[in-house]
Amino acid sequence: MFQDFKSDPFLFMIAVGVIVFVIAQSLFFLLRAMKRGKEIGLSRETMKNTISSSALFSIAPAISIAVTVLVLSVALGYVLPWIRLSVIGAIQYEVPAAEAAIDAAGLSGGIGRDISDPKTFTAIAWVMSLGCILPLILIPIILKKVQSKVSGTVNKNAKWADLMSAAAFIGLISAFLGRGIAGIGEVQITESGEKINAVIGDGAGVLSITAIVSSIVFMLLLTLLNKKLQWKWLEAFAMPFSMLLSIGVIVLLNTVAPDLAAIEWRY
Amino acid sequence: MKNNRTYIDTVHTYGRIWCIAALAVILAVPALMSWHLNAWPDIGIVGKAFGSIAILFYPTAVIEVLAYAPLLGAGGTYLSFLTGNIANLKLPCALSSMENAKVRSNSEEGEVISTISIATSAITTTLIIAVFVVIFAFNPKFTQLMQSDALAPAFKQVTYTIFGALAASYFVKHWKISIFPIAAISLILVFAGNIQIGILIFVGVVLSLLGAHVMYKLKWV
Repeated sequence: MFQDFKSDPFLFMIAVGVIVFVIAQSLFFLLRAMKRGKEIGLSRETMKNTISSSALFSIAPAISIAVTVLVLSVALGYVLPWIRLSVIGAIQYEVPAAEAAIDAAGLSGGIGRDISDPKTFTAIAWVMSLGCILPLILIPIILKKVQSKVSGTVNKNAKWADLMSAAAFIGLISAFLGRGIAGIGEVQITESGEKINAVIGDGAGVLSITAIVSSIVFMLLLTLLNKKLQWKWLEAFAMPFSMLLSIGVIVLLNTVAPDLAAIEWRY
Repeated sequence: MKNNRTYIDTVHTYGRIWCIAALAVILAVPALMSWHLNAWPDIGIVGKAFGSIAILFYPTAVIEVLAYAPLLGAGGTYLSFLTGNIANLKLPCALSSMENAKVRSNSEEGEVISTISIATSAITTTLIIAVFVVIFAFNPKFTQLMQSDALAPAFKQVTYTIFGALAASYFVKHWKISIFPIAAISLILVFAGNIQIGILIFVGVVLSLLGAHVMYKLKWV
Protein backbone atom coordinates (compact mmCIF):
# COMPACT_ATOMS: atom_id res chain seq x y z
CA MET A 1 0.00 0.00 0.00
CA PHE A 2 2.77 2.41 0.95
CA GLN A 3 5.18 1.46 -1.83
CA ASP A 4 5.18 4.97 -3.29
CA PHE A 5 3.78 6.84 -0.32
CA LYS A 6 6.36 9.64 -0.60
CA SER A 7 4.91 10.65 -3.97
CA ASP A 8 1.29 10.18 -3.00
CA PRO A 9 -0.98 12.64 -4.88
CA PHE A 10 -2.32 13.88 -1.52
CA LEU A 11 1.21 14.90 -0.53
CA PHE A 12 1.52 16.81 -3.79
CA MET A 13 -1.75 18.57 -2.93
CA ILE A 14 -0.32 19.59 0.45
CA ALA A 15 2.73 21.01 -1.35
CA VAL A 16 0.53 22.98 -3.75
CA GLY A 17 -1.43 24.37 -0.79
CA VAL A 18 1.79 25.52 0.87
CA ILE A 19 3.03 27.13 -2.37
CA VAL A 20 -0.29 28.99 -2.77
CA PHE A 21 0.01 30.23 0.82
CA VAL A 22 3.57 31.53 0.30
CA ILE A 23 2.64 33.28 -2.95
CA ALA A 24 -0.52 34.77 -1.41
CA GLN A 25 1.47 36.21 1.49
CA SER A 26 4.12 37.62 -0.84
CA LEU A 27 1.50 39.17 -3.14
CA PHE A 28 -0.31 40.67 -0.16
CA PHE A 29 2.82 42.46 1.08
CA LEU A 30 3.94 43.32 -2.47
CA LEU A 31 0.68 45.08 -3.37
CA ARG A 32 0.53 46.95 -0.07
CA ALA A 33 4.13 48.10 -0.41
CA MET A 34 3.52 49.29 -3.99
CA LYS A 35 0.47 51.25 -2.88
CA ARG A 36 2.46 52.83 -0.07
CA GLY A 37 5.39 53.52 -2.42
CA LYS A 38 3.06 55.47 -4.70
CA GLU A 39 1.73 57.47 -1.73
CA ILE A 40 5.20 58.49 -0.54
CA GLY A 41 6.35 59.47 -4.02
CA LEU A 42 8.42 56.54 -5.24
CA SER A 43 8.31 56.48 -9.03
CA ARG A 44 6.55 53.72 -10.92
CA GLU A 45 9.80 53.08 -12.80
CA THR A 46 11.80 52.58 -9.57
CA MET A 47 9.28 50.05 -8.28
CA LYS A 48 9.09 48.29 -11.66
CA ASN A 49 12.89 48.07 -11.82
CA THR A 50 12.96 46.68 -8.29
CA ILE A 51 10.56 43.92 -9.31
CA SER A 52 12.44 43.03 -12.53
CA SER A 53 15.91 43.10 -10.99
CA SER A 54 14.81 41.13 -7.89
CA ALA A 55 13.22 38.46 -10.07
CA LEU A 56 16.35 38.19 -12.21
CA PHE A 57 18.55 38.27 -9.10
CA SER A 58 16.65 35.28 -7.67
CA ILE A 59 16.82 32.95 -10.68
CA ALA A 60 20.29 31.44 -10.16
CA PRO A 61 19.97 31.05 -6.35
CA ALA A 62 16.49 29.55 -6.82
CA ILE A 63 17.86 26.94 -9.24
CA SER A 64 20.64 26.11 -6.81
CA ILE A 65 18.04 25.69 -4.02
CA ALA A 66 15.94 23.49 -6.34
CA VAL A 67 18.99 21.30 -6.98
CA THR A 68 19.38 20.75 -3.23
CA VAL A 69 15.95 19.08 -3.29
CA LEU A 70 17.80 16.26 -5.06
CA VAL A 71 20.16 15.84 -2.08
CA LEU A 72 17.20 14.99 0.14
CA SER A 73 15.14 13.17 -2.50
CA VAL A 74 17.03 9.85 -2.14
CA ALA A 75 15.73 9.47 1.41
CA LEU A 76 12.51 11.46 1.32
CA GLY A 77 11.22 11.60 -2.26
CA TYR A 78 10.50 14.97 -3.83
CA VAL A 79 7.47 16.35 -2.02
CA LEU A 80 8.70 16.75 1.56
CA PRO A 81 12.07 18.38 0.56
CA TRP A 82 10.14 20.61 -1.85
CA ILE A 83 7.85 21.85 0.92
CA ARG A 84 10.67 22.24 3.42
CA LEU A 85 12.90 24.18 1.04
CA SER A 86 10.02 26.46 0.00
CA VAL A 87 9.06 27.39 3.56
CA ILE A 88 11.76 28.67 5.96
CA GLY A 89 14.00 25.77 5.08
CA ALA A 90 17.54 25.97 3.85
CA ILE A 91 19.64 22.93 3.04
CA GLN A 92 22.07 23.54 5.91
CA TYR A 93 19.16 23.11 8.37
CA GLU A 94 17.14 20.43 6.65
CA VAL A 95 19.95 17.87 6.30
CA PRO A 96 20.89 17.82 10.02
CA ALA A 97 17.18 17.73 10.98
CA ALA A 98 16.53 14.74 8.72
CA GLU A 99 19.75 13.02 9.86
CA ALA A 100 18.82 13.53 13.54
CA ALA A 101 15.39 11.94 13.02
CA ILE A 102 16.83 9.03 11.01
CA ASP A 103 19.42 8.50 13.74
CA ALA A 104 16.79 8.68 16.51
CA ALA A 105 14.79 6.03 14.65
CA GLY A 106 17.81 3.76 14.98
CA LEU A 107 18.59 3.65 11.27
CA SER A 108 22.04 4.03 9.73
CA GLY A 109 23.06 5.61 6.44
CA GLY A 110 21.51 9.03 7.06
CA ILE A 111 19.93 10.83 4.13
CA GLY A 112 21.73 8.53 1.70
CA ARG A 113 19.22 5.74 2.40
CA ASP A 114 15.67 5.34 1.15
CA ILE A 115 13.14 5.82 3.95
CA SER A 116 10.60 3.09 3.38
CA ASP A 117 8.77 3.18 6.71
CA PRO A 118 5.96 5.80 6.74
CA LYS A 119 6.29 6.33 10.50
CA THR A 120 9.98 7.21 10.15
CA PHE A 121 9.08 9.47 7.23
CA THR A 122 6.48 11.38 9.24
CA ALA A 123 8.86 11.56 12.22
CA ILE A 124 11.36 13.27 9.90
CA ALA A 125 8.63 15.63 8.64
CA TRP A 126 7.74 16.59 12.24
CA VAL A 127 11.36 17.16 13.27
CA MET A 128 12.08 19.28 10.17
CA SER A 129 8.95 21.36 10.78
CA LEU A 130 9.42 21.80 14.55
CA GLY A 131 13.08 22.63 14.03
CA CYS A 132 12.34 25.70 11.92
CA ILE A 133 9.38 27.37 13.62
CA LEU A 134 11.10 29.44 16.32
CA PRO A 135 11.46 32.60 14.16
CA LEU A 136 7.70 32.54 13.47
CA ILE A 137 7.06 32.58 17.23
CA LEU A 138 9.76 35.17 18.03
CA ILE A 139 9.04 37.67 15.27
CA PRO A 140 5.45 38.56 16.23
CA ILE A 141 6.65 39.10 19.81
CA ILE A 142 9.90 41.03 19.40
CA LEU A 143 10.06 42.52 15.87
CA LYS A 144 8.15 45.71 16.66
CA LYS A 145 10.38 46.38 19.67
CA VAL A 146 13.56 45.72 17.67
CA GLN A 147 12.35 47.98 14.84
CA SER A 148 11.43 50.85 17.17
CA LYS A 149 14.86 50.66 18.85
CA VAL A 150 16.48 50.85 15.40
CA SER A 151 14.26 53.82 14.41
CA GLY A 152 15.28 55.57 17.63
CA THR A 153 18.98 55.14 16.82
CA VAL A 154 18.43 56.30 13.23
CA ASN A 155 16.61 59.43 14.38
CA LYS A 156 19.37 60.24 16.87
CA ASN A 157 22.33 59.78 14.51
CA ALA A 158 21.65 58.95 10.87
CA LYS A 159 25.32 58.79 9.82
CA TRP A 160 26.13 56.37 12.62
CA ALA A 161 23.07 54.23 11.81
CA ASP A 162 23.99 54.08 8.10
CA LEU A 163 27.56 53.12 8.93
CA MET A 164 26.43 50.37 11.31
CA SER A 165 23.98 49.07 8.73
CA ALA A 166 26.76 48.93 6.10
CA ALA A 167 29.15 47.36 8.64
CA ALA A 168 26.61 44.64 9.51
CA PHE A 169 26.22 43.76 5.86
CA ILE A 170 29.97 43.84 5.25
CA GLY A 171 30.28 41.35 8.14
CA LEU A 172 27.83 39.08 6.33
CA ILE A 173 29.71 39.44 3.03
CA SER A 174 33.01 38.72 4.84
CA ALA A 175 31.63 35.46 6.24
CA PHE A 176 30.69 34.15 2.80
CA LEU A 177 33.78 35.46 0.99
CA GLY A 178 36.01 34.16 3.79
CA ARG A 179 34.49 30.72 3.33
CA GLY A 180 35.27 30.89 -0.39
CA ILE A 181 38.87 31.84 0.40
CA ALA A 182 39.62 29.47 3.29
CA GLY A 183 36.54 27.31 4.11
CA ILE A 184 36.87 23.53 4.41
CA GLY A 185 34.67 21.26 2.29
CA GLU A 186 33.40 17.78 3.00
CA VAL A 187 36.15 15.23 3.59
CA GLN A 188 36.21 11.50 2.99
CA ILE A 189 38.68 9.21 4.74
CA THR A 190 39.89 6.33 2.57
CA GLU A 191 40.59 2.83 3.86
CA SER A 192 44.29 3.69 4.03
CA GLY A 193 43.44 6.67 6.26
CA GLU A 194 44.10 9.28 3.57
CA LYS A 195 41.93 12.40 3.48
CA ILE A 196 40.33 13.05 0.10
CA ASN A 197 37.94 15.68 -1.21
CA ALA A 198 34.44 14.17 -0.97
CA VAL A 199 32.51 16.82 -2.96
CA ILE A 200 33.96 18.98 -5.72
CA GLY A 201 33.11 22.65 -5.33
CA ASP A 202 32.13 22.77 -1.66
CA GLY A 203 35.50 23.85 -0.22
CA ALA A 204 37.74 26.84 -0.93
CA GLY A 205 39.50 26.30 -4.23
CA VAL A 206 39.78 27.31 -7.86
CA LEU A 207 36.01 27.34 -8.39
CA SER A 208 35.13 29.45 -5.36
CA ILE A 209 37.88 31.97 -6.11
CA THR A 210 36.82 32.09 -9.78
CA ALA A 211 33.25 32.78 -8.65
CA ILE A 212 34.30 35.59 -6.32
CA VAL A 213 36.82 37.23 -8.63
CA SER A 214 34.75 36.97 -11.82
CA SER A 215 31.59 38.34 -10.19
CA ILE A 216 33.58 41.27 -8.74
CA VAL A 217 35.14 41.96 -12.17
CA PHE A 218 31.79 41.73 -14.01
CA MET A 219 30.11 43.96 -11.44
CA LEU A 220 32.83 46.60 -11.71
CA LEU A 221 32.77 46.42 -15.53
CA LEU A 222 28.99 46.74 -15.73
CA THR A 223 29.00 49.63 -13.25
CA LEU A 224 31.66 51.37 -15.33
CA LEU A 225 29.70 50.70 -18.53
CA ASN A 226 26.60 52.13 -16.92
CA LYS A 227 28.47 55.30 -15.94
CA LYS A 228 30.22 55.77 -19.29
CA LEU A 229 27.31 54.99 -21.58
CA GLN A 230 24.57 56.31 -19.29
CA TRP A 231 22.55 53.11 -19.74
CA LYS A 232 20.03 53.74 -16.97
CA TRP A 233 18.37 50.34 -17.40
CA LEU A 234 21.64 48.56 -16.70
CA GLU A 235 21.91 49.99 -13.20
CA ALA A 236 19.21 47.74 -11.77
CA PHE A 237 20.45 44.66 -13.62
CA ALA A 238 24.21 44.92 -13.06
CA MET A 239 24.05 42.61 -10.04
CA PRO A 240 21.99 39.76 -11.53
CA PHE A 241 23.90 39.98 -14.83
CA SER A 242 27.23 39.77 -12.96
CA MET A 243 26.03 36.67 -11.13
CA LEU A 244 24.77 34.95 -14.27
CA LEU A 245 27.90 35.80 -16.29
CA SER A 246 30.06 34.53 -13.44
CA ILE A 247 28.13 31.25 -13.31
CA GLY A 248 28.73 30.98 -17.09
CA VAL A 249 32.48 31.35 -16.50
CA ILE A 250 32.39 28.61 -13.83
CA VAL A 251 30.49 26.16 -16.07
CA LEU A 252 32.94 26.93 -18.90
CA LEU A 253 35.98 26.43 -16.67
CA ASN A 254 34.53 23.25 -15.26
CA THR A 255 33.88 21.90 -18.77
CA VAL A 256 37.12 23.03 -20.47
CA ALA A 257 39.55 22.37 -17.60
CA PRO A 258 37.88 20.00 -15.09
CA ASP A 259 41.17 19.03 -13.44
CA LEU A 260 42.05 22.66 -12.75
CA ALA A 261 38.50 23.39 -11.56
CA ALA A 262 38.65 20.46 -9.11
CA ILE A 263 41.61 21.92 -7.21
CA GLU A 264 40.66 22.77 -3.64
CA TRP A 265 43.16 23.82 -1.01
CA ARG A 266 40.85 23.22 1.95
CA TYR A 267 39.22 19.83 2.45
CA MET B 1 4.89 61.25 10.21
CA LYS B 2 1.45 60.07 11.28
CA ASN B 3 1.02 58.25 7.96
CA ASN B 4 4.42 56.66 8.37
CA ARG B 5 3.50 55.24 11.77
CA THR B 6 0.19 54.03 10.47
CA TYR B 7 1.74 52.13 7.57
CA ILE B 8 4.42 50.47 9.72
CA ASP B 9 1.83 49.65 12.37
CA THR B 10 -0.38 47.93 9.83
CA VAL B 11 2.65 46.01 8.51
CA HIS B 12 3.19 44.67 12.03
CA THR B 13 -0.48 43.83 12.51
CA TYR B 14 -0.77 41.96 9.20
CA GLY B 15 2.69 40.48 9.65
CA ARG B 16 1.70 38.94 12.97
CA ILE B 17 -1.48 37.49 11.51
CA TRP B 18 0.48 35.97 8.59
CA CYS B 19 3.10 34.59 11.00
CA ILE B 20 0.47 32.80 13.07
CA ALA B 21 -1.17 31.49 9.88
CA ALA B 22 2.24 30.34 8.62
CA LEU B 23 2.88 28.53 11.89
CA ALA B 24 -0.43 26.69 11.47
CA VAL B 25 0.39 25.82 7.83
CA ILE B 26 3.88 24.53 8.69
CA LEU B 27 2.60 22.30 11.48
CA ALA B 28 -0.35 21.19 9.36
CA VAL B 29 2.07 19.66 6.83
CA PRO B 30 3.41 16.81 9.03
CA ALA B 31 0.00 16.49 10.72
CA LEU B 32 -1.79 15.99 7.40
CA MET B 33 0.91 13.60 6.19
CA SER B 34 0.66 11.55 9.38
CA TRP B 35 -3.13 11.49 9.16
CA HIS B 36 -3.27 10.60 5.45
CA LEU B 37 -0.62 7.90 5.67
CA ASN B 38 -2.08 6.70 8.96
CA ALA B 39 1.44 6.81 10.31
CA TRP B 40 1.71 8.91 13.47
CA PRO B 41 5.34 8.80 14.57
CA ASP B 42 6.74 7.64 17.87
CA ILE B 43 6.83 10.72 20.13
CA GLY B 44 10.06 9.48 21.72
CA ILE B 45 11.84 9.48 18.35
CA VAL B 46 10.54 12.95 17.43
CA GLY B 47 11.39 14.32 20.88
CA LYS B 48 14.91 12.91 20.87
CA ALA B 49 15.71 14.21 17.37
CA PHE B 50 14.01 17.54 17.97
CA GLY B 51 15.95 18.03 21.23
CA SER B 52 19.26 17.51 19.47
CA ILE B 53 18.55 19.94 16.63
CA ALA B 54 16.78 22.56 18.79
CA ILE B 55 20.04 23.01 20.73
CA LEU B 56 21.75 23.58 17.40
CA PHE B 57 19.14 25.71 15.57
CA TYR B 58 17.25 27.71 18.16
CA PRO B 59 20.11 29.91 19.44
CA THR B 60 21.01 30.63 15.78
CA ALA B 61 17.36 31.51 15.08
CA VAL B 62 17.39 34.13 17.87
CA ILE B 63 20.62 35.62 16.55
CA GLU B 64 19.27 35.65 12.97
CA VAL B 65 16.10 37.50 13.96
CA LEU B 66 18.08 40.15 15.86
CA ALA B 67 20.76 40.51 13.18
CA TYR B 68 18.60 40.57 10.05
CA ALA B 69 15.49 42.44 11.22
CA PRO B 70 17.10 45.91 11.22
CA LEU B 71 18.43 45.36 7.69
CA LEU B 72 15.32 43.79 6.17
CA GLY B 73 12.70 46.23 7.46
CA ALA B 74 9.38 45.14 8.99
CA GLY B 75 7.59 43.81 5.88
CA GLY B 76 10.80 42.25 4.60
CA THR B 77 11.36 40.44 7.91
CA TYR B 78 7.85 38.95 8.05
CA LEU B 79 8.24 37.73 4.47
CA SER B 80 11.83 36.51 4.68
CA PHE B 81 11.38 34.41 7.77
CA LEU B 82 8.55 32.48 6.14
CA THR B 83 10.41 31.60 2.97
CA GLY B 84 13.93 31.23 4.39
CA ASN B 85 17.27 31.46 2.60
CA ILE B 86 17.71 34.92 4.10
CA ALA B 87 21.48 35.42 4.29
CA ASN B 88 22.16 33.83 0.91
CA LEU B 89 19.24 35.32 -1.07
CA LYS B 90 16.58 37.59 0.46
CA LEU B 91 18.91 39.96 2.32
CA PRO B 92 21.40 40.51 -0.53
CA CYS B 93 18.48 40.89 -2.95
CA ALA B 94 16.82 43.55 -0.77
CA LEU B 95 20.07 45.42 -0.16
CA SER B 96 20.91 45.39 -3.86
CA SER B 97 17.44 46.81 -4.65
CA MET B 98 17.75 49.55 -2.02
CA GLU B 99 21.18 50.42 -3.40
CA ASN B 100 19.81 50.66 -6.96
CA ALA B 101 16.78 52.71 -5.87
CA LYS B 102 19.13 54.95 -3.84
CA VAL B 103 17.09 54.68 -0.66
CA ARG B 104 18.37 54.20 2.89
CA SER B 105 17.62 50.89 4.56
CA ASN B 106 16.24 52.57 7.67
CA SER B 107 13.81 54.91 5.88
CA GLU B 108 10.20 54.32 4.85
CA GLU B 109 11.29 54.31 1.19
CA GLY B 110 13.78 51.60 2.14
CA GLU B 111 11.02 49.67 3.92
CA VAL B 112 8.85 49.78 0.78
CA ILE B 113 11.63 48.85 -1.67
CA SER B 114 12.88 46.06 0.62
CA THR B 115 9.36 44.60 0.88
CA ILE B 116 8.80 44.77 -2.91
CA SER B 117 12.19 43.15 -3.52
CA ILE B 118 11.76 40.32 -1.00
CA ALA B 119 8.17 39.60 -2.07
CA THR B 120 9.28 39.36 -5.72
CA SER B 121 12.23 37.19 -4.77
CA ALA B 122 10.00 34.89 -2.68
CA ILE B 123 7.48 34.48 -5.53
CA THR B 124 10.21 33.87 -8.13
CA THR B 125 12.06 31.39 -5.94
CA THR B 126 8.92 29.48 -4.95
CA LEU B 127 7.77 29.18 -8.56
CA ILE B 128 11.21 28.14 -9.87
CA ILE B 129 11.61 25.48 -7.16
CA ALA B 130 8.10 24.18 -7.97
CA VAL B 131 8.80 24.01 -11.71
CA PHE B 132 12.14 22.26 -11.18
CA VAL B 133 10.72 19.74 -8.71
CA VAL B 134 7.96 18.79 -11.15
CA ILE B 135 10.59 18.37 -13.91
CA PHE B 136 12.82 16.33 -11.56
CA ALA B 137 9.89 14.09 -10.68
CA PHE B 138 8.96 13.36 -14.28
CA ASN B 139 12.21 13.73 -16.25
CA PRO B 140 15.15 11.67 -14.95
CA LYS B 141 17.38 12.85 -17.83
CA PHE B 142 17.03 16.47 -16.71
CA THR B 143 17.82 15.40 -13.14
CA GLN B 144 20.99 13.68 -14.38
CA LEU B 145 21.97 16.85 -16.28
CA MET B 146 21.55 19.01 -13.18
CA GLN B 147 23.71 16.56 -11.21
CA SER B 148 26.33 16.27 -13.97
CA ASP B 149 30.01 17.00 -13.31
CA ALA B 150 29.80 20.18 -15.40
CA LEU B 151 26.80 21.74 -13.65
CA ALA B 152 26.70 20.38 -10.08
CA PRO B 153 29.91 22.10 -8.83
CA ALA B 154 28.75 25.37 -10.48
CA PHE B 155 25.54 25.42 -8.39
CA LYS B 156 27.68 25.27 -5.26
CA GLN B 157 29.28 28.58 -6.27
CA VAL B 158 26.08 30.64 -6.66
CA THR B 159 26.42 32.12 -3.16
CA TYR B 160 29.96 33.28 -3.94
CA THR B 161 28.79 35.00 -7.14
CA ILE B 162 26.11 36.87 -5.13
CA PHE B 163 28.55 38.04 -2.49
CA GLY B 164 31.33 38.76 -4.97
CA ALA B 165 29.03 41.09 -6.93
CA LEU B 166 27.76 42.72 -3.73
CA ALA B 167 31.30 43.07 -2.39
CA ALA B 168 32.23 44.99 -5.54
CA SER B 169 29.69 47.70 -4.76
CA TYR B 170 29.96 47.67 -0.94
CA PHE B 171 33.72 47.36 -0.61
CA VAL B 172 34.34 50.18 -3.09
CA LYS B 173 32.14 52.52 -1.05
CA HIS B 174 33.16 51.31 2.41
CA TRP B 175 36.65 49.93 1.82
CA LYS B 176 38.02 51.27 5.11
CA ILE B 177 35.61 49.26 7.26
CA SER B 178 35.81 46.19 4.98
CA ILE B 179 39.47 45.27 5.42
CA PHE B 180 39.30 44.22 9.08
CA PRO B 181 36.31 41.81 8.96
CA ILE B 182 37.40 40.04 5.76
CA ALA B 183 40.97 39.61 7.07
CA ALA B 184 39.74 38.45 10.50
CA ILE B 185 37.27 35.95 9.06
CA SER B 186 39.86 34.51 6.65
CA LEU B 187 42.29 34.13 9.55
CA ILE B 188 39.67 32.41 11.72
CA LEU B 189 38.92 30.02 8.85
CA VAL B 190 42.60 29.14 8.44
CA PHE B 191 42.49 27.67 11.96
CA ALA B 192 38.85 26.50 12.03
CA GLY B 193 37.92 25.98 8.39
CA ASN B 194 34.77 23.95 8.99
CA ILE B 195 33.08 26.43 11.31
CA GLN B 196 29.30 26.51 10.70
CA ILE B 197 28.15 29.33 8.38
CA GLY B 198 25.52 30.58 10.87
CA ILE B 199 28.22 31.08 13.53
CA LEU B 200 30.61 32.55 10.96
CA ILE B 201 28.01 35.15 9.93
CA PHE B 202 27.46 36.11 13.56
CA VAL B 203 31.21 36.43 14.18
CA GLY B 204 31.64 38.40 10.92
CA VAL B 205 28.85 40.84 11.76
CA VAL B 206 30.08 41.39 15.35
CA LEU B 207 33.70 41.93 14.24
CA SER B 208 32.63 44.26 11.45
CA LEU B 209 30.43 46.32 13.80
CA LEU B 210 33.23 46.55 16.37
CA GLY B 211 35.78 47.56 13.72
CA ALA B 212 33.43 50.22 12.28
CA HIS B 213 32.59 51.48 15.78
CA VAL B 214 36.28 51.94 16.65
CA MET B 215 36.96 53.68 13.31
CA TYR B 216 33.95 55.96 13.82
CA LYS B 217 35.14 56.92 17.30
CA LEU B 218 38.64 57.59 15.95
CA LYS B 219 37.03 59.66 13.16
CA TRP B 220 38.65 57.48 10.47
CA VAL B 221 35.32 57.09 8.70
